[in-house]
Amino acid sequence: MARVEARDTDALAELYDRHSARLMGLARRVLGESGEAEEVLQEVFLFAWRAASSFDPARGNVLTWLLIATRSRAIDRVRSRKSASRPELRSLEDIGEGPASRDDVEAASAGRQWEQICRGAVGELPEDQRRALELAYFEGLTQQEIAERTGTPLGTVKTRVRLGLMKLRERLRPYLGSGSDGA
Amino acid sequence: MAHSERHEELVAAAALNIVDGADQAELARHLAEGCPTCEELLRDLRGAATALAAGVRPVTPAPHVRASILASLGPARIATARPVSTGVWRVFAAAAALLFVAVGLDDARLRRQGEDLRSQSAELAGRLQSAETALAERVLRARVLESDDVQMMRLGGKEPQPGARGRVFWSPKARRGILVASSLAALPADRQYELWVFLDGKPVNAGVFDADGSGGALFESTDFPEPGAQNFAVTIEPRGGLAAPTGPVVLVGSPT
Repeated sequence: MARVEARDTDALAELYDRHSARLMGLARRVLGESGEAEEVLQEVFLFAWRAASSFDPARGNVLTWLLIATRSRAIDRVRSRKSASRPELRSLEDIGEGPASRDDVEAASAGRQWEQICRGAVGELPEDQRRALELAYFEGLTQQEIAERTGTPLGTVKTRVRLGLMKLRERLRPYLGSGSDGA
Repeated sequence: MAHSERHEELVAAAALNIVDGADQAELARHLAEGCPTCEELLRDLRGAATALAAGVRPVTPAPHVRASILASLGPARIATARPVSTGVWRVFAAAAALLFVAVGLDDARLRRQGEDLRSQSAELAGRLQSAETALAERVLRARVLESDDVQMMRLGGKEPQPGARGRVFWSPKARRGILVASSLAALPADRQYELWVFLDGKPVNAGVFDADGSGGALFESTDFPEPGAQNFAVTIEPRGGLAAPTGPVVLVGSPT
């Protein structure tokens, strides 16, 4: 990433080669079979190019950083599809947003390890919590919408989202950059 | 700052960007009051949520995507403007970000109800404005005791950046102001944006700032020359700024 920040186009190409399939997979999962996923991918890598200096390796893993950027852009598009006009307010969303893990998992093997741990953590969630998180994460449904879709009281949805994410955090704690010193 | 399951609930939804309106206001208020625990939690949970993406099957993009990205790499943008120098600023940045997310959601919900967006936009803008004003007031008051005179002016984009938007919140008494801007273009490394306060029709330098990687900026000026600001503008100037504007006007206010 330091090389990307130094305007090294080869470094961006490497970043692309390493992560684009995973990011494209996420964009496709959210947006379906459309050219929009490719557009999102382009936006994300241009964002990485322009904002490389906002990536803080002390806090994070590049893949997490890129996944957050991909998901937020893809969800924006899903939401704006329902109207001719797009929300114009997303541009500040990245402020204060940072990837969360401390370890450098840029190496492909470490990346695979991270992925396995993530899958394991998600797999251990109770079904209803996982379902609520997936509806939120991949479809961008609000908690009210999740409640309607699943026929569940809103309060229960909020609890599931909270417990599910807190469990993921607990399982991934060794990889997350904070949480050790609480309040 | 008290921490509770309720706050965890709000932060979890914020980490997924799915907070509904009323909750959003509550969370923004909580963060604006300052809660490092929730700020950390928000960062953690955003990271934790990406675990959900690990189960997605990778898809190799078509070759033209790679070529197109590499061909479109523009000039350098050094994103240095993230205002993290004080706790209050971080809180404001986080709260403002959340606020914007919330308004986006409100917006989407309104559309889903099939109502005409244009007819809603005035109301929405009003809600955003009042929420932002309340937040900025809170922040300014936290920084400047007894500052009960916060005002707001909307700035619109001009060529070459007609899509740029901004708002200035300022306290004439305290001689401080906050510029919140979005959709700013990348600048070459030797250029910065400069904020100008108009007094008696003349622009006075109120400080320089950079846009962040996504074109946003949150800039606090403690340089307001004296009470009586009538208008504001943002121009592009050599890094470090100048005493008088020379570059193109990017944003300008429309005083009533």
